[in-house]
Amino acid sequence: MKKLLAMLLVLGLFLPAALLAEESPKEFVFYADKNAKDNHYIPSGWMGDTGDIKMNDQSAVNPKTGTTSIEFTYNAKKAQGQGWAGVYWQNPANNWGSKNGGFDLTGMNKLTFWARGAKGGEVIQKVMVGGIKGTYPDSTAVEMGPVELTDTWKQYTINLAGKDLTYINGGFGWATNGDLNPEGATFYIDDIKFEADANLKPESKKQEMMPFYIYSDRSSAKNHFIPSGWMGDYGDIKYEGASKEDPYLGDSSIKVTYSGKKTQGSGWAGIFWQNPANNWGNVDAGYDLSKAASLTFWAKGAKGGERIEEIKVGGIMGEFSDSDSAVIGPVILNKEWTKYTIDLKGKDMSYIIGGFCWSANVDNNPEGAIFYLDEIKFE
Amino acid sequence: MKKLYFFTSVFLLAALTLGMSSRPTPKVFIKKFKNGDYQLRVNSKPYIIKGVCYNPIPIGKNHEYDWWSDPNKPWEVDGRLMKEMGVNTVRLYQVHENSDEVKKVIRGLYEKYGIRTVLGSWLGFWEYPCPFYGDKKFQDRIKKEVLEMVRLYKDEPGVLMWVLGNENNYSCLGQVNPWSSDEIDKEPDPQKQKAMRAKTYYSFVNDLTREIHQIDTDHPVALGNGELVGLEFAKEYAPDVDLVACIIYRGKTFGNLFKSLKATFDKPIFISEFGADCYDAYLKKEDQNMQAFFLESQWRQIYGNLAGNKDGAGNCLGGAIFEWSDEWWKHNQDSSDSWSVQDTESNWSNGSYYFDIKAEGNKNMNEEWFGIVALSKDLEQGINPRTNSNIIDNKDSVGAGVNKRIPRKAYYVIREFWKKPDLNIKRKKK
Repeated sequence: MKKLLAMLLVLGLFLPAALLAEESPKEFVFYADKNAKDNHYIPSGWMGDTGDIKMNDQSAVNPKTGTTSIEFTYNAKKAQGQGWAGVYWQNPANNWGSKNGGFDLTGMNKLTFWARGAKGGEVIQKVMVGGIKGTYPDSTAVEMGPVELTDTWKQYTINLAGKDLTYINGGFGWATNGDLNPEGATFYIDDIKFEADANLKPESKKQEMMPFYIYSDRSSAKNHFIPSGWMGDYGDIKYEGASKEDPYLGDSSIKVTYSGKKTQGSGWAGIFWQNPANNWGNVDAGYDLSKAASLTFWAKGAKGGERIEEIKVGGIMGEFSDSDSAVIGPVILNKEWTKYTIDLKGKDMSYIIGGFCWSANVDNNPEGAIFYLDEIKFE
Repeated sequence: MKKLYFFTSVFLLAALTLGMSSRPTPKVFIKKFKNGDYQLRVNSKPYIIKGVCYNPIPIGKNHEYDWWSDPNKPWEVDGRLMKEMGVNTVRLYQVHENSDEVKKVIRGLYEKYGIRTVLGSWLGFWEYPCPFYGDKKFQDRIKKEVLEMVRLYKDEPGVLMWVLGNENNYSCLGQVNPWSSDEIDKEPDPQKQKAMRAKTYYSFVNDLTREIHQIDTDHPVALGNGELVGLEFAKEYAPDVDLVACIIYRGKTFGNLFKSLKATFDKPIFISEFGADCYDAYLKKEDQNMQAFFLESQWRQIYGNLAGNKDGAGNCLGGAIFEWSDEWWKHNQDSSDSWSVQDTESNWSNGSYYFDIKAEGNKNMNEEWFGIVALSKDLEQGINPRTNSNIIDNKDSVGAGVNKRIPRKAYYVIREFWKKPDLNIKRKKK
């Protein structure tokens, strides 16, 4: 009897595991429908201007499959003064890395989701898998974007082949900003899931095509890099990414007001455009811009005579450093739009986190400076 | 008469030919291979510079201390430790005015421990109020000093090369010790001003190089430079330098430094100052693993870019770790009380050294903790020249001793790397 019990226990304990090993799961579902029993993760990690976001996780308006999809409305009103917003799906809810709740998704190699905009043209700056840090950090961080939505459902895929998926707490996330969506955006997401695709290969770093824009217009999906790296007397800087005052091209340009008040006591200030935001070389996310022969931009001063000490491409040094840097300056701005070029011939542009940077100081701008930038691009 | 003429001609021809063919090979020179690689040769043998920057200031003293004349001879204690590690070169930034003492150090390190010396000159970079490179009198005075140095030490067998300047190029950009001239001040465009300063400075270095070559054909002349900044001007105005000696602090990797140099100014490179501190400014404690990690990674890249390595640029001649021993005076140079305390406050930031970049204000670089050898307030005796040991007996008259040297982990890690350089191993971060 004891023997039989032992046999039953052994079978009971080990047989399902053995069967499971033979038939490894092909997918891991996030969201199929509201209250679907297969759902995992909770869209609890609201970020940035959280007051600008509304979520309806049982929208019945034209779901992709089943009876519901998730509707997000982002009004771009900067409720918290951030200028951007986003949502992470976490496990358990509100886990920013303080709890050991991530899933081991080894065996999966892509995340897919369906999305559509209410009107079409809505821009999600980026979608993410992993990347939450803290005491229990995600084992990987992958980003894709920007994504410009259409008014019909379209499936999007994040390639995770070759990534370490042993611990994923931030299963999926999106982020966008008011520059990309000045009138706000309403969009729908459905059927989010991890999948195992036997034919999928790791994504090799692709060389970006030229021209590669840093700034085209305020809401352009062509824009790359984020003006997030504020340096020196950052309190002296006012940044407007959608200035309508006489843009060089299109409907907007960048207006920078540098007060020269030494708010932080440095005597200088500047901004680095980074990928992703606030990446000082701690995130492996450089663009391969090897095809770029130059970076060009247009600039003008409000009065003329404003002096920019340095204008730079690359040069961020960290665990993941930019592959090279190139600099011009000092530059004394004209009152009229003027084109400037940073020559990149002979430079190694294969890995660039810091796409563009300017710095100015109070010694050469004792009254501060107001200047404009437009059409910043690699060519 | 014809016979005499014939013999005379043959004799002259033979003398000329023999004279040309017997022109001695320089003691130290750089060989350029057909594939464009460069290799340093000493006595016609390949020589990888396995160097350290050397400035053995004892605890409680500052940079003005004359260690050259220290009766305890700190360089003897250090030389023995260096030899055990595998160091073959020390880099000295500037020689002392007492040439007899300088010769003793150079000769002692070479004869006792086989260690060669790189001799440098600041080229007046730290002179108050600034180095007037646009002023002829200033140039003449610096030139006199430099040529005097060359004449004094060129015949010392331990000398390896000359390094002109350190990070003086930054003064051309106005970043450190900015200088100008009437002609430059007249130019309204600041970019052109920068180019004019660079032309003046690099032309001066080139002029110095040519004069050194006239006096000393046995040792190469290096252009000291901060990073690769300004070398596009050096290509035009300082073509006669034999190599560049660059100061590089890029964390675990030198990035595309070697290839970038090849594209900008095709000269061999000696990384004349690089390294990592061993104090974690975030966790506020010493971290020898961190220092060892960065240094080993840096040496792996140096070796990967020596001549003959098909995956590298082939233009690196070696490097000098900054630095051999800690210097306790550096954080607060004006307060003599602080020279007896190893300060843990950082005053600059470098994201490439990322382990402790989250320190307050991102200030993670601890200037007093760069040594691969720590100093202790305990004293040990210097080498007794009579017995060639550090055992003291009653016959000897010695001073109070030198601060005890305590090798850090990096000392041992680099020692092992030099014994068996393996470029393929990727170690864990810490």
